[in-house]
Order: sequence, then structure tokens, then C-alpha cells
Amino acid sequence: MEIITSMLAGILFATGVYNLLQKQMLRIIIGTALLSHGAHLFILTMGKLKRGKPPILVEGVENYVDPLPQALILTSIVISFGVTSFLLVLAYRASLLNETDNMEELRGSDHE
Amino acid sequence: MSNLAVLPILIPLLAGIFSAFINKKTKMVRIFSILVSIINLIVVSYIGYTIFQNGSIILETGGWKAPYGIVLVADMLSILLVITTNIIAVACIFFARKSLSQQQESFYFYTFFFFLITGVSGAFLTGDLFNLFVFFEVLLMSSYALIVLGGGKIQLRESIKYVLINLFSSILFVTVVSFLYSVVGTVNMAQIAERVQEVEQKGILTTIAILLFFVFATKAAVFPLYYWLPKSYIVPNPVVSALFGALLTKVGIYSILRVFTTIFVYEIDITHQFFLWLAALTMITGVIGALSTNNIKLIISYNIIPAVGFMLMGIGLYTEASISGSIYYLLHDMVVKGTLFLIVGAIVALTGTSDLRKMGGLIHHYPVIGWLFFVASLTLAGIPPFSGFIGKLLLLQEGLAQDQIAIVIIGLITSLLILFSMIRIFIQAFWGEKDDTITPNRVKSRAYAWPIAFLVAFSVFLGVGAEYVYPMVEDISAYLLDPSQYIDSVLKE
Amino acid sequence: MLIAVFLPLIFACLIPFLSKWKQKVHTGWFVLPIPFSIFLFLILKVGKQFSPISQSYAWIPSLNINFDLYLDGLGLLFGLLISGIGTLVVLYSIYYLHKTEQLSHFYVYLLMFMAAMLGVVFSDNVYALYSFWELTSFSSFLLIGFWNHRKGSRYGALKSMLITVFGGLSLLAGLILLTIVTDTTSIQAMIDQKDVILNSNYFGWILGFLFLGAFTKSAQFPFHIWLPDAMEAPTPVSAYLHSATMVKAGIFLVARFLPIVSLSEWFFFIVSGIGIITLCWGSFIAVRQTDLKGILAYSTISQLGMIMAMLGFGTDAAIFAAVFHILNHATFKGSLFMVAGIVDHETGTRDIRKLGGLMTLMPITATLALFGTFSMAGVPLPFLNGFYSKEKFFKTSLELEEASGIVQALATAMPVLAVLGSIFTFVYSMYLVFGTFRGEYKEDELPQKPHEAPFGMLISPMILVIGIIVIGLFPHLVNGSFLAHAAEAISGHESHAHIKFWHGFVPPLYMSLAVVALGTLLVITRKRWNSIYNVVPGTLTFNRVYDWLVDRTELFSSKITKTYMTGSLKLYVQLILIAIILGTISMLLITNGLNLEATDLARIRLPELLVVGMMVLASIATIFTNNRIAAILILGVVGYGLSILFVLYRAPDLALTQLIIETVTVALFLLVFMHLPKLEKRNESKGSIVMNATIAISFGAMMTIVGISSYTSKWFESISGYFLETSKSLGGGSNVVNVILVDMRGLDTLFEICVLGIAALGIYGMIKLRRKKEAK
Repeated sequence: MEIITSMLAGILFATGVYNLLQKQMLRIIIGTALLSHGAHLFILTMGKLKRGKPPILVEGVENYVDPLPQALILTSIVISFGVTSFLLVLAYRASLLNETDNMEELRGSDHE
Repeated sequence: MSNLAVLPILIPLLAGIFSAFINKKTKMVRIFSILVSIINLIVVSYIGYTIFQNGSIILETGGWKAPYGIVLVADMLSILLVITTNIIAVACIFFARKSLSQQQESFYFYTFFFFLITGVSGAFLTGDLFNLFVFFEVLLMSSYALIVLGGGKIQLRESIKYVLINLFSSILFVTVVSFLYSVVGTVNMAQIAERVQEVEQKGILTTIAILLFFVFATKAAVFPLYYWLPKSYIVPNPVVSALFGALLTKVGIYSILRVFTTIFVYEIDITHQFFLWLAALTMITGVIGALSTNNIKLIISYNIIPAVGFMLMGIGLYTEASISGSIYYLLHDMVVKGTLFLIVGAIVALTGTSDLRKMGGLIHHYPVIGWLFFVASLTLAGIPPFSGFIGKLLLLQEGLAQDQIAIVIIGLITSLLILFSMIRIFIQAFWGEKDDTITPNRVKSRAYAWPIAFLVAFSVFLGVGAEYVYPMVEDISAYLLDPSQYIDSVLKE
Repeated sequence: MLIAVFLPLIFACLIPFLSKWKQKVHTGWFVLPIPFSIFLFLILKVGKQFSPISQSYAWIPSLNINFDLYLDGLGLLFGLLISGIGTLVVLYSIYYLHKTEQLSHFYVYLLMFMAAMLGVVFSDNVYALYSFWELTSFSSFLLIGFWNHRKGSRYGALKSMLITVFGGLSLLAGLILLTIVTDTTSIQAMIDQKDVILNSNYFGWILGFLFLGAFTKSAQFPFHIWLPDAMEAPTPVSAYLHSATMVKAGIFLVARFLPIVSLSEWFFFIVSGIGIITLCWGSFIAVRQTDLKGILAYSTISQLGMIMAMLGFGTDAAIFAAVFHILNHATFKGSLFMVAGIVDHETGTRDIRKLGGLMTLMPITATLALFGTFSMAGVPLPFLNGFYSKEKFFKTSLELEEASGIVQALATAMPVLAVLGSIFTFVYSMYLVFGTFRGEYKEDELPQKPHEAPFGMLISPMILVIGIIVIGLFPHLVNGSFLAHAAEAISGHESHAHIKFWHGFVPPLYMSLAVVALGTLLVITRKRWNSIYNVVPGTLTFNRVYDWLVDRTELFSSKITKTYMTGSLKLYVQLILIAIILGTISMLLITNGLNLEATDLARIRLPELLVVGMMVLASIATIFTNNRIAAILILGVVGYGLSILFVLYRAPDLALTQLIIETVTVALFLLVFMHLPKLEKRNESKGSIVMNATIAISFGAMMTIVGISSYTSKWFESISGYFLETSKSLGGGSNVVNVILVDMRGLDTLFEICVLGIAALGIYGMIKLRRKKEAK
């Protein structure tokens, strides 16, 4: 199963990157969201899947899944949420001010 | 005692939170920020003193012993960089009140400023790879907020590119941390180092190392990953540019330095040789960029890149002298980049243009700024007796000693071209016919000149007074090349 | 001695504070005592009993960079020139520069230069030498740019700086190699180890780097092009830096390292070869110059070539001749520059075509010029020092050792070339003096009405001319007292040279006479040859090379940079990704990192597969939707799918968080993008689609492969076991993830909240700012 989830994460990365390479801001931001999903799935996979109970200690249970990746993912989810929201507002403001949401039209020159 | 290590993070953090509450009272927040910056500088200098006297300070946060909890490792390298960071911070905070509009100040500049310092100091101090990611995010998030401050059209446009590329590299960062966790079962850097050593960095580890390098290299602006940097660094307020130029890429370089001297040092022929190639390319392409434009801000911004090349060269050579060279160069570059961004910021503010072709004769109006710029240019180009020379000398010396004559020649040519790109500004902007129609704004220019002069003085000290600094750097280098010292001090084995 | 070096530097720092008195007294008067006292200090050392002095002062001992000063004959000769000519130049400048000029700048630069130059000639430490060396380049840069409102000044300053710093950096490389090979930074200690250097693999590189440094500084062919443009500097500067002292630093360098560099079999060929080419080329081009200082500049180039050539001969007699000529050249060229400055000052022009017939108006100046030029031309008269050294040049050129091949060819040609160069020297010397002072007086063309210069201005050239005569009449005054010491310091042998006027009818005399005869002929018939002097495109070719290089560097940089720094995010991301993919995959292959035989795997179950399948479809669908709301919702599907996976994989906290955050994010997306343009159909080219797809797929595949390999390579026990064990006992909670978050890794959580806070403030700022702007 870990191989399958790794492949899924890989596909998320691939689609994320493909979207990142588009022109329109919405697609680009969707791309970043897909990328972070892929990253989180990778973290989870790296801690081995389903090797025990959820890491909530109960008397008599010996096997639990690895809790550390879960903690890391939680931190990472919150951070990427913060960044994504910031990015969304930034994209909104930038496209409003520049009157386009096409990144290819937002190149600029040396002097302006 | 060991609690000292948290102060460089805690003070700016609390200051940042507090300043958010008093942000409407501009005068008060200014004085508060200046005071805190100076106090913080004194505190970190004191911590530095203790560390150089008694050795590294290891703080196991929450009392959880290493490698399980997060440790803060204030060793000589970290604290030296933290001190330099705070010196630049003090200069910037004095400059800020002159160069920012009141509106920008009231939109939490000081809060973001302190959070940025928090993130940078944290990144230097942490001994935990995932925690490093978190501090990266703190400093990046503050930098995102700072770069959009003021919110002009061009500014937002370049900010988006900046945010996106950094976001991408952050995502890659966590992923790679998880890969590494899978292999070595830990995120504590000392333990990672220990375990990597145990298996002699076999199998997939070198690949993971190189991925990690790419993550840091994107932030450090190494060829071919620096495209996002030049233009995004020139759009915000000069004081923000100065902070970015002085601190952000240097965190990336620091991370490479730390990781590739402490952890991944068992495939040097492959990884570090690869760095040498990249270093050469970074120097050349960076300086070519600096010569490609007439926008003075952009010239300075491009000049960040060849400096990164020099530092990477030292890491690639991986000898005691070359690492000393890189560290010295790192210290020097932090100061001089901050200085130069402040100077061009002042020039642009005083003349109203950043186009070199529209300037001339400024030295007659602003002699002090002109000469500060001249000295800073020579420093940047590594002309003795200024600070750039010491680092460069060590790097070139070691390059030749290691038979890497090609990269030394590239380094020399790069130095000449850096000088050319800077003197071009001096000749075109400062020299020339005096324009009598301009009435120089002396009050303003004097206010700009003080913080710049402070940084230039420090930079001159780094060069002329190298005897006071270099032995420390030499110690650090020897310490870095013996990872067991770091490992033992953290894991106490 | 350290004081001698730093006195000018310290005083330079004080000058800006003198501004109070500046109104009344010329700043030069304050400066004058400094070079003079150094001169006195040095002249007291002169004498037969002189022996080298060395002193050492620490600077950066941990890097072996110290002020190790070493005063030997060579250093003394140069020190005397620097301080002596320095005194005269400062005196001269007091009358030359008006009080309204930015005098304090001028004297700061001049003193900086003086200190630097003294540092160069007294340093025994190679890095101190290099530091002073660069300081001379920069003070020269500032002095050339003294009148920076002129375009020519700026051009000349940049040119001289680029070329000399280029040489300086090359010198640095050479010096570093020397320290690596010999493991010392002291020049004297290096000379002691010359065999080690000769046998090292770097010997060729060392030679190349050192020569490049020396030739650029001393304006040797083809690096001579900066010197004529340096004439934009005020004339006292030209007399001082660009004729008497700085340009001789290259010669000093070759002389200093002569015991080492002369070990090479190519030493003669390179140094004398370049020297003699410079001599001939410089004197030939000098003839066609029309600017007085232009003539003198090319003349300086050719004379430097001559000295270089003599050093290249390497014999004791030749070295002595070189040393002698260094002194002589300083006297006659210094006086001639000052004369040119006087003419310029009094008539307002330096164009020789406009000048003429000034003899009667400026008799003293004319007399001084006469002595200077005749000495330079090497006219055989007993009271002209230039003749003595030139005759020694001829003599030594005839005494070259036997060699083979191309070296022999050069040795054979040397006397002929020497005569040829000297003929042109004779021609331009005569042209210079007669063109200016004899002939027709063209009153209408002169901007000013000329008259004799004030006495103060004449003192300095007069002293120099007296020097010419005294050395000419009594050469032994300078021979034993310091020339012999200088020659000895270079060659390492005791010098037995004698300077005599009359040697009998020997070949060198015939050569001198031939030069005078042919030269006179050429001068008389000059009009016929004019076209020939101008036919050759001349130095312009090398100037063009320089201009072309500078222009191209900028143009090329801008072209190259524009190809990738387009501002296109897409291109940036593509390039970055390609780099990462190539770098990582090659690393994977080189280090044999591939490890895909995962054995310890969880079982595959249908519900999980279904979720995975759904997520795959949804993620691919994001690419193909052209409806923004659909795209956002599909993204939501991926997110919710992930939270289901979290549930299935026993991560309840994660699932919950993911669920909430996904919902909020989708809402945010919808909120923001309601206000933005609709998604357009992509009208991309096929190539671009293929490119993007290739990058995306290879990146995804790479991450999968590295991920699986990492998963397979679980070589160590995870630290998580400790968390499970201690969560309850030490952390006081049974939800281990929570305990990790708030306790064991509490710092992460603290700063994660911090990030959220910054994001919130940032967003607030962006929105609020807009409101304010709209309100306006």
C-alpha cells in the first residue's frame, strides 16, 4: 500500500507542477494546493501505514502507528493554510491592480 | 545558563507581538523598536561572549532531552551570525523611520520586522531539521508580509513570483525531511549526522542530500535556481530590500554550510565537487546579470548572486581554510549587502529615479553618501584592506592549493566584473557635471547617512581588524569539520 | 619606517579638517613638509655603508598578513624618487592648481597614493604589497577623475582602473601561488627558496600571473592603452604617478622578483621581448601625437619598455643600467611634464599645432625643456644623464648571451630594435621642444596671451634639470651611494659598474651617433613622413579592443541575461524544476541510490484503493476543467479524499484538521475568485504542453522513486518509540500526537501559530490598504 500512496503522492506532485506551469493565477494556486497535499501524503507514508492503533494510548494495546509524522503534518497543514490564504489575497490584489490574472502578462522590465 | 539560547528568538518574538498592539502610536513604536533592537544586540553579544568563553549552549526545549525534543544549539557559528544579524537590524531600524511612509509603519512594519529577525535567528539556532523548516516559514511569511508592504502594482506583481517559488521550495523541504526521517528515523540534526555517519551515507541518502541542497539553494540563490531573486528584491522599500539582501539568502547559505559540514560529508567527491561547478556558474551568471542593466537597485540585487557563488566555493572545497573563507565571506556579505541596499535606497529616494542614465554629479550634492558608496563598492569587490578581501583571499588560496585553478580564475574575473559593475554606478551617478538646479536635501541625506556609516564602519572593522575576528572564524571552521563535536555536544554521549 | 609609510595616510585623514584655514592659505603648503621629511629621512640612509633594514609590525598575524618592511637598495631608490619627486610635485601643484579647486580632495588622494607607493616598495610581505598595490590603482583612479565633470576624465579613470585592477588580481593569484609553494609570505624568504619555486608545478602560472600584473601596471604593450587616457589627470599628477612613480611599480615588481622569475628560460624572451616592442611602438606612436601630454605619455610608455627590456637582459651590467635609467627617466620626464603643464597653464592649450615660437616669451621654460628633451633623446653630451643610461642600454644589448632558436633571433635583433626605437625617441623629442618653442608664433590660435610662468612654478622643474646636469657631470655621486645598492638588491651580486662618458670608439658610440644622424634626418624631412606615421592604424586598434571588450561585456551580459530573466514565472519554474530533476536523477544514478524492493508493506484494501483512485482522477481533472468553480470543487475533492485517507490510516486528529482547513480553503478560494476573470480555455502550443507535461511527469515520478527508495531504506529505529513510552508518564496525556505538538515539539507549534498570525496581519494590511486608497 505504501507504494500505491507514494505513487498517488507522485501524481499529486505531477499535477500540481503542471498546474503551477500554467498562466492563470487560479490554476497556479490550485497547483500549490495539490503540491502540499502530495507532501503531506508523503510524510504520512514515510511513517509506515496502519501498523497499529491510532496513537491514543489505551491500556493493553501495544502497537500504535508512528505519531511523529502526524504531528509534523499537523504543523505543516496549518502553515500551508496560512501561506495559501495569504497567497490568495495577494493574487487577488495583484490581479486587480495589474488588471490581469495572467502571469505571462506580468513580466515587467528593468526600468519602471 | 542554557536558557540564554532562547533569548535571541524570544526577545524579537515578544517585541513583535507587543509592537502589533501599539502600532497606531507611531512615535512610541519607533522608540520601542529602536530600544529593543539595541537591547537585543547587547544581549546576543553577551551570549556570544559566553559561548566563546565556555563553549556551545544547548537548550533542550520543554525539558525533553535530545534527540526527542527540539534542541536549540547556540554554537560559535550560530551566535556569530545572530550577532551580525542584529547589527544589521539596528542599522535598518534607524533607517526605517526615515525611509518608510507613516502608512507603511502603521501597517505593522515593526511587527513583521521583529518576526523576520525571530525567524532568521531561530533558523541559525535550531538543531532540529523540521524546526528549521518552521523557522524558515516564520521568516518567509514575515518576508511575504514585508515585500507587499505598501502594495504598489509592480510590488505585488513581483511579490507573487517570490511567494510562489518560495512556497514551492518549502513544500519540497517538508517532503525531503520526511524522506530523511524514513531513512534515519529522526529529525534531530545531531542524531541525523550520527546515523548518516554510521551507514556512511550509503544508498538513497546522497540523493536526499542533494534534494535538500536544492531546497536551500533555491533560498540561497545558487545557479540555476536564483531567477526569482533579482527583481523581487528591488520592489519593496529599501529598508526591506536591505534586510532581504543581508539576511534571507544567507540563511540558505548557512543551512547548506551546516548540513554539508555536519551531516552529509561522506560523499565529498560527488556532492562537494558538484557544488564547485555550481559555484563557478553562479559567480559568472550573477555578475553577468549585474552588468546587464542600468537600474542601480537591480545591479546591487544581482550582485548578491556572485557572492553566493564565492561562499559555495568554500563549502565545495571543504577544507579548514576554505570553510573559514566561506564563513568570513558570509559575515562580510551580510554587512555589505545591507549597506549597499540602504545606499541605493537613499540614492533613489534623493534623486527620484533608479535609472543610472538619468543620474550624474551626485557627489557634489551628497559627498558623504558618495564616499560611503565608494568604500562599500571596494569592499564588495574584495579590495584590501576591506572585509571582502579576507574571505576572498582564503578562498582563492585554498582553491589554488587544491589545484582548482579554473574556479580561481573565474573568481578573479568575477571580482573584476563586480568592481566594474559598481564603479560604473560611481562614475555615472556620482561623478560628472554638477547640476545647480537641484537643491540637495541635506537633512534627509544626513539621516540616511548615519545608519549606512555605522554599517560601513563595521565592515571596515571586519577588514582592517580581521585579527580580532579571524581566529574565531578559524575555530568555527575547525569545529565544523569535526562533526563529532557537534553531535557529542547535543547528544551528550 | 612604518611611520614613513603611514604619515601621508594619517595626514590625508586630517586634511578635511583644515578647511578653516583653507580660504587663506593654499592647502599644498600644509602637505609639503610630509614628503620632504620622508625624503630627508631616506636620504640620511644613503651612503656606501648602507645595509638593508627590516622591521615588522603585526596586522593580521593569524593570516600571515603583516607590515614586514624591508628597506634595501631598490626600495631606497624608489623611496627617494617617491618622496623627492613627491615634494617637487606638491610644490609645483601649489602654483598649478588654483585655490578654488577642490584642493582637499586632491591632496587627500595624492597623500593616499604616496603612502601606498611607499608601502609597495617597502613591503616584504606579499599581501601587504598587494594591498598597497591596489591602493595605488584606486588613488590613481581618483586622481585621473579629479576633473570628473569631463567626459574624458571619467573614461580615462575607468580604463586605467579596469586594466590595472585586472593586473592587480592577476598579481594576487601569482602571490598566492608563491605563498603556497614556499609556505611563507615574505618576499626575501621566497627568494631564498627559489629552487623550490623553480621545481614546483606552478612555476609557469606564477610567471604568467606576475608578469601580467607588472605589464599592466607599467603600461607595457598591449596594456599601454590606459596611460595616454590617464593624461586627463591634472599635470602634477601625470608627472608624479604616470611617469615618475606608479607606472614604475611594474618594473619594481619584476626587479623585486628577478631572482625568481629570471630562472625561467623564457624570462629574457618575454620581458625583453615585450619591453622592446613597447619601446619601438611607443616611440613610433609618440611622433604623431599632437597633444604635448600625449607625446609625453607615449614617450613614457616607450621608456618604460626600454627599462623593462634592460631588466630582461638579466646581466649585472644591464640591471645596473636599468636602475640608472629609472632615476634618469624620473628626472627628465618629470621636468618635461612640468614644462608641459607650464605651457598649458600659460597658453591655455597643449595642442602642438597651435604652439610655436614660445622661446622668446618663455625663455626659462624653453631652456628647461631643452635640457629635458636632449637628455631624453640621449644626445651624446657629457652633462646629460639620459645619454649615459641609453649608451649602457646599447652596450648591454650587444652583450647578450648565446642562445638557440627564437630566443637567439630576438637577441640578435635586439641592438637593431634598440636603435630603431631610439631614433623615434630622438624624433619626437626634437619635435616636442622645437615645435613648442621654435618656429612661428601663432598668436591668434592661443586662447591666452603667454608669458613666463611665475617663479614658484619653475622651481620644481629647475631642480629636476639641475639633477639631470649634476648626474650627467658627476655620475659617481649617485653610483656608489645608492644605484649600486639598488642593482645589488636586484641581482644579488655586488655591482662593479662604472659610469663614464668616454669609452673610446666602440660600437655603442656608433649606435648613438647613428641615432642622432638618422634622427636629425627624419626631423628635417618630417613632412614627407607624416603620412607614414598616420598610415598605420596605430594604437587605435588596441583602444578599439578595449572599447569593444567593455561594450561587449555590457551588451553580451544584457543579451544573455534577457534570455532567461524574462520575468516569466513559468519559465523560472520550468528552469528550476529541470535543474532539480536533472541534478537529483543523476545523483540517484551515480550513487546507486535506487532501492525499490520494498518488503515491509501494509496490505492493500479496496476502500483505500477507491479513495486513491478518486483522488487521482480529481487531481488530473483539475488540469482539464475550464470552469473555475468546478476546478475549486475538484480541488476540494482531493483535499477531502486526503482526510479520508487520514481516517483510514489512523490519524484522527489529522483528518479533523484537514477537513476543517479544506473547507475553509475552498470557501476562501470561492470568495476570492468570484471577483477574478473566468478561466480561459488554454490556447497553448503543443510544444509547450508536451514540455510542461514532461517536466510534471518526470518530477512526480522522481519524487515517487526517491520516496519509495527512502521508505525501503529504513535502517534505523524511529525516535517515535520514545514518544509512545513517555507520553503518559512525562507528558501527561494519552493522545500522543497532541502531547508531541504541545509539549515535546511545542516550539514548532508556537511558531506555527506565529506564522498564522503574520499571515493574518499581512492579509489585513493588504485589504485595509486598499480601503484607504479607495477612500482617497
